[in-house]
Amino acid sequence: MDEKQLVAKAQKGDFDAFLLLVNDHKSKVYNLALKMTGSVQDAEDIVQDTLVKAIDKIDQFRGESAFGTWLYSIALNQTRALLANYKKADLKPIEEYLPSINSIDTEHNSIRLFDWRDPHKLLEQNELKDIIDDAIEALPLIYKEAFILRYYEELSIKKVADLIGESVASAKSRVLRARVALRDHLSKVFEDNYGRTMQ
Amino acid sequence: MAGQCSDYINNLNDYLDGEISPELCKELEKHIGQCNNCRIMVDSLKQTVSLCREGKKENLPKALENKLTNILKEKWNKKFPKQ
Repeated sequence: MDEKQLVAKAQKGDFDAFLLLVNDHKSKVYNLALKMTGSVQDAEDIVQDTLVKAIDKIDQFRGESAFGTWLYSIALNQTRALLANYKKADLKPIEEYLPSINSIDTEHNSIRLFDWRDPHKLLEQNELKDIIDDAIEALPLIYKEAFILRYYEELSIKKVADLIGESVASAKSRVLRARVALRDHLSKVFEDNYGRTMQ
Repeated sequence: MAGQCSDYINNLNDYLDGEISPELCKELEKHIGQCNNCRIMVDSLKQTVSLCREGKKENLPKALENKLTNILKEKWNKKFPKQ
C-alpha cells in the first residue's frame, strides 16, 4: 500500500494505517529533536507531541508534501516552541561566529588559517563526537535547524527552505553560515589539541 | 569574477555540495589551487559535514516506543470514537 492510500485510510479512522505512516519517521523525528535540543528528555517530549499533533491534524493533511516532510514541519514547530523558553543567548549575532569569513573578507593574506590535517589523529572518536555535539548545540536555532535538515536529514535545499519558511537563498545562506560557524568552533578545538599533541 | 576570496564565499556551499555551474566550478577550483587559505577553508568545510555525519544515529528508546503506542491509541480513539 502506498503513502497516499495509507493517508486516505488513516483519515477515515484506521489507526493501523496511521502507525504504518509514522513508523518510518519516528526515529528520524527523534534524531532531529535530539540534535536540535541536545536533550534525550526534550527529544522524547517532542516525538510524543509531534505524533499527537499529527493525529489532531491528520484530516488537514492534503498530500501537498510527503507525509514525512509534513511530520518534520510539525516537529520543527514543537522544537521551536520548546527552545523559545530556553536561553536567550541563542540569539547571538551570527557575525560573531564568523571570524574566518570576516578575516578572508578584510585581511586576505594577513592571516593564515589552521590546517586541520586529520582530526581523528588529534582526538579520540568519542571525544570528537562530544565536541561535535557541543558545537552543534552552540549554534543559534535558525542556523542549527537549517544545517541539521540539510546534512543530517539530507533534504534538498528547496525542502529545507519550505520547512523553515524561508526563500531558497536565505536557506542557503543559513546553511553556509552554520557550516562556517561549526568549522570555526572545531578549528579552535583542533588547534588547541594540535598544540597539545606537539608538546 | 576577479578571483578575490570574498567573491567566492557565497558560492562555497553550492560548490561543496556539487551544485554550481561547471564554469564557476572551474574558476573556483583555479582560485583554490592558488590560494592556500581558501584551500584550507574548503577542505575544513568539507570535513565539517563529514565529521558531523559520523555521529551515531540514535534509536528510539524502547520504553518510549511502548509508551507512545498507548498514548497514540488513546488519542486516536478520542478523535475517531468507535460507533
